[in-house]
Amino acid sequence: MKTSTFLWRLIRYEPGRYSLNALMWTLISLAPVIPGLLTKEFFDFLDGQASLGIGIGGLIALLVGAALARVMLIFMGFITDVHYRFRMGMLLRRNLLEHILKEPGARAIPVSPGEAISHFRDDVDQTEEAVSWSVDVLGMLVFAGVSAYILLRIDAQITMLVFLPLVVVVTAAQLATSRLQRYRAASREATSQVTGAISEMFGNVQAIQVAGAEARVIERFRNLSDRRRKTMLKDRLMTEALDSVFSNTVHIGTGLILLLAAYKMRAGTFSIGDFALFVYYLNFVTQFITNVGRFLTYFKQMEVALRRLTSLLQGAPAWVLTLFKPLYLGKRETPPARAGAGVGQGKSTPSGSGEQVARSAGEFGSASGQQARRTTEAADQAEAGSPAAIATGMRGARQAEPEPLSHSAEGSQTELGPLRQLTATGLTYRYPETGRGIENISLELERGSFTVITGMVGAGKTTLVRAVLGLLPLEAGEIRWNGVLVEDPGSFFMPPRSAYASQVPRLYSDTLNNNIMLGEEDVGGRLQAAVHTAVLERDIGQLEQGLQTTIGPRGVKLSGGQAQRTAAARMLARQAELYVFDDVSSALDVETERQLWERLFRERREATCLVVSHRRVALSHASHIIVMKDGFIESQGTAEALLQQSELFRQIWQGDAHEG
Amino acid sequence: MSEKRRFQTSLKQYYDLLRRYLLPQRKTLIGLTILLLMTIALQLVNPQIIRYFIDHAQSGGAMTSLIYAALVFIGFSLFHQLISVIATYVSENVGWRTTNTMRSDLASHVLSLDMSFHKEHTSGAIIERVDGDVNALANFFSSFIIHLAGNLLLMIGIIVLLFRENWMIGLAMTIFVLGALYLIQWIRKFAVPVWAEWRQVNAEMYGFLGEQLEGTEDIRANGAAGFVMNRFFRLIHRMLPIRVRAFLGFAAMWNTTILVFALGNAMAFGISAYLYTSGSITLGTVYLIFHYTELLSKPIEKIRTQFEDLQKADASIVRIRELFETKSRIVDGPGAKLPDGPLSLTFDEVGFGYEEDKRTLKQLSFQLKPGEVLGLLGRTGSGKSTIARLLMRFYDPQEGSVELGGVDIRLCKLGELRKKVALVTQNIEIVQGNVRDNLTFYDRSVPDERMVEVLRELGLGRWYDTLPSGLDTPLDSGGGSLSAGEAQLLAFARVFLTDPGLVILDEASSRLDPYTEHYIERAVSRLLEERTCIMIAHRLNTVQRADRILILEDGELIEDGERQQLAADPNSRFSRMLATGMEEVLA
Repeated sequence: MKTSTFLWRLIRYEPGRYSLNALMWTLISLAPVIPGLLTKEFFDFLDGQASLGIGIGGLIALLVGAALARVMLIFMGFITDVHYRFRMGMLLRRNLLEHILKEPGARAIPVSPGEAISHFRDDVDQTEEAVSWSVDVLGMLVFAGVSAYILLRIDAQITMLVFLPLVVVVTAAQLATSRLQRYRAASREATSQVTGAISEMFGNVQAIQVAGAEARVIERFRNLSDRRRKTMLKDRLMTEALDSVFSNTVHIGTGLILLLAAYKMRAGTFSIGDFALFVYYLNFVTQFITNVGRFLTYFKQMEVALRRLTSLLQGAPAWVLTLFKPLYLGKRETPPARAGAGVGQGKSTPSGSGEQVARSAGEFGSASGQQARRTTEAADQAEAGSPAAIATGMRGARQAEPEPLSHSAEGSQTELGPLRQLTATGLTYRYPETGRGIENISLELERGSFTVITGMVGAGKTTLVRAVLGLLPLEAGEIRWNGVLVEDPGSFFMPPRSAYASQVPRLYSDTLNNNIMLGEEDVGGRLQAAVHTAVLERDIGQLEQGLQTTIGPRGVKLSGGQAQRTAAARMLARQAELYVFDDVSSALDVETERQLWERLFRERREATCLVVSHRRVALSHASHIIVMKDGFIESQGTAEALLQQSELFRQIWQGDAHEG
Repeated sequence: MSEKRRFQTSLKQYYDLLRRYLLPQRKTLIGLTILLLMTIALQLVNPQIIRYFIDHAQSGGAMTSLIYAALVFIGFSLFHQLISVIATYVSENVGWRTTNTMRSDLASHVLSLDMSFHKEHTSGAIIERVDGDVNALANFFSSFIIHLAGNLLLMIGIIVLLFRENWMIGLAMTIFVLGALYLIQWIRKFAVPVWAEWRQVNAEMYGFLGEQLEGTEDIRANGAAGFVMNRFFRLIHRMLPIRVRAFLGFAAMWNTTILVFALGNAMAFGISAYLYTSGSITLGTVYLIFHYTELLSKPIEKIRTQFEDLQKADASIVRIRELFETKSRIVDGPGAKLPDGPLSLTFDEVGFGYEEDKRTLKQLSFQLKPGEVLGLLGRTGSGKSTIARLLMRFYDPQEGSVELGGVDIRLCKLGELRKKVALVTQNIEIVQGNVRDNLTFYDRSVPDERMVEVLRELGLGRWYDTLPSGLDTPLDSGGGSLSAGEAQLLAFARVFLTDPGLVILDEASSRLDPYTEHYIERAVSRLLEERTCIMIAHRLNTVQRADRILILEDGELIEDGERQQLAADPNSRFSRMLATGMEEVLA
């Protein structure tokens, strides 16, 4: 997307507020015309050439009155500005967050969370500034027109010679700003590295303290900070040099007027009042030009911001950022409990939000016409050689393959019915960093079956379940639900179809209750049932506030086992047809684990399970076992069969026998 | 929300900060002062040139002197521009240098805080403080003092020059300036608290976003995107009114200056009109007075923006001070040395609770001989991991003491203690950086061959061979392409590269499959040779190599003995547990 299109779409998000804001700031820009005229009148009065017969007292009263009016305008201008810019900035953040939550979950952002935060913060702020300052361009034009009219009538020659250099300055400065971008990109980059380092430092405090690595970590942080200083300085020097060109115009202009008016003043055809007026307006002209220059600078910087924000979208088109979506900011407005639930959510509810979903899905569909272009873009990036660019390149290539439009799929996918059979064929995904992953994996899950994936560390077990659930972008392969192709597994595999407990559970600084339910409504004692099956009831009983206990950032107040069982409860509370859980019992003691499995077997009823585990209790219960090795299926079958066939399986089976 | 209280940031706080961070930069500051003095002089001279010009033009002076005056005016302006660009560059540099120092000091302070602090603060919120708040201070450091002093000087210069023209106008302008400064300072009081509130809610926003961005997998697959968006909407709903008020605070400050200047101009007009009509000044001087009055807006405006920055800085300084003053509950010891080799261990009547009135460990006592391997068993929440945390001094016990090699660990330097005690947990803590950084935490003294050797020993050889640039291959923070089991092996490898006297393995192999666990057994045995070890487990196979077994329940010791003896005694808990394990196998 072009930066100007981006700007235009943001303006169109709230056209009413934007126009009002533009009107206010145009009036504010126009306000200094009056005190300028009053100043001229004052000097002319002293010089005996007064044209208005109001005397010094009247002039002074008018001057104060004009200031009061301007003050009122500014108050209103600030209100319109903050309302507009806040909405616009938050719309960007909203769309960005919503998009990230739709990406394949295991690779939702191409950078570290700390870096992503700096995009959310700085790049959006940058954009906000640019859009907010754009109204000043209009104000400046109106002021220029009005003041030019007044000045031309006084002295056309001097007016031309004052305004002309200013136009030159703007042009020159605009040409120079293209250089600015590079420095801006570098300094932003350095900044996000610094914030990334901080986020990491404090995300891994314990590991750092354990390793006694505080000093070394700080040293690294210091180096990154110093790099940022250097890039920032370059950036700032350029900006400042440009700014000073803008702001110095008034002095040069005054000098020019002096030079040109010397003869006329001596001859009495150019009064002191005229001179005062020229200089007075010059002041404001320069101020406005500074503002316009500032806008141009922000605009150029917005280009960088846009590029960085787009890179966060991992190949999706930039206009995803500017989709017009509600923000629920009205006084009496409250967001729906599952607001903006996105594509996947809407399908199960055919009502209002579903319609919106269909619309946005339609928009996605229409974008696929541009896929060819997107692919070339991705290829260009891939040539640039960075791993991330190559990753998006791969995605792009994949997307370019003929696939059904997602909106046409909308209707059919709701009618797929309850799970009878899930088949995956030829699943392939390799991590771009190491080239490892899974290759050409096929599996089949019958309704009510209990399938266990097992294998050694690094065999691709987690990758496989992620691939099935659409948490990783597939390179090849397809997944069929009751024989029907699932086009977008990522938004398809969600409750009520499936639920997932990941190997390393992610919890939030919120109550235990919210961490389990995640907004789901507690109907029919779901919560109690989930808590019970996950063997959490004893732990909750020990907490003073029970389920309402706040569990700290990332759930740090819970032990590893508690966190894992919370994640299990989270999954179970969804009441899905398919449960997928990845090594959910690794941090549990024998007794708790035994209870967990027992309750699971008893209470899952018809639900289909896909489980990563190497516990014998799980393996012996399995209706089917898949043994993974180096990204391939080494062997599969029932436990008895595998004990006969597979040496690897025997080792895993026997390894777990050390239990007893 | 202690920020809500109205803080009177004392001058001493500013002084402390300035002395600590600006004093080392004094040479640059002197240079900067000189540059600023030059710009002040240039600004004072230029209006005099205009007066000369007007008076000469009015009295029909020579054309050439008028032209010269105009040219000198332009020349001075250009020179002024050049100097101010240089001055900005220099002061920006000072700002970044000082804030960078401050940032590292703050980061290193926060890093040294105990875990109870880190359990209360998200890393997103810490970014806001260590980076956001310190950024707000950047201008304060880079230019506050100099601009404040410079602009005060400019102001005084103008007033002195006005007095030279006429005492009446001088006096009037002095009153005006003082009134203006007072008013501007006064209005500031109303904007500060709102600004603090805005930063606070902003920090909350980025803390929230940070957590969501880390947990995309779980959100996505459990259909919680809607819930997350709902939280986002509720947050911004709360943010908008605060932002509006913060903006109105700014508007109030700007408007005050506009109004004040209109009044100043009106006063200057009145007085100079009177003086002109009474014939005591020329028209050029009237213009001079007018010009100087306008020029006064610059320093006053600058002082206003400086105060504005100060107002942002105010809130930030308070928060930064708070952070600096947050003392770690863990006080570094005086520096007793721990003996080399395997360490003995004594828990003497140790009582500890994460909260004041709830004990996680109750009068716990046990001893361990050097080189002994202890298997620590118990249910989740029985206090096993707490023992490890006390040994690392993430927390200190409320009662009793912990001794290593006969030394109370509170007497050791933390660095020394953590060098001698190694801990591997089940947490995955991968940092942004390459494989080498993750193994050594940026310690450059560990030879590459040793690292590769350890990786192979731990069965990561095959993984290592796939890395495109070996040890220099970057790893994603949070694991990325590393499986959870591999990440755990990597954490293991870290310990192999150090030389501890006590090794604590807290569920260290929970994410490993039995095959891999078996594979690394030999390596672990080598690690534990000549070392004391505590293996915390809730799985029995993990403690096979233990010499002794301790079983904890609700913070109390319910069984303690030689492993073999306990296993042989059919009445022991341990043997009953072994039996449960058998049942599990039979199921």
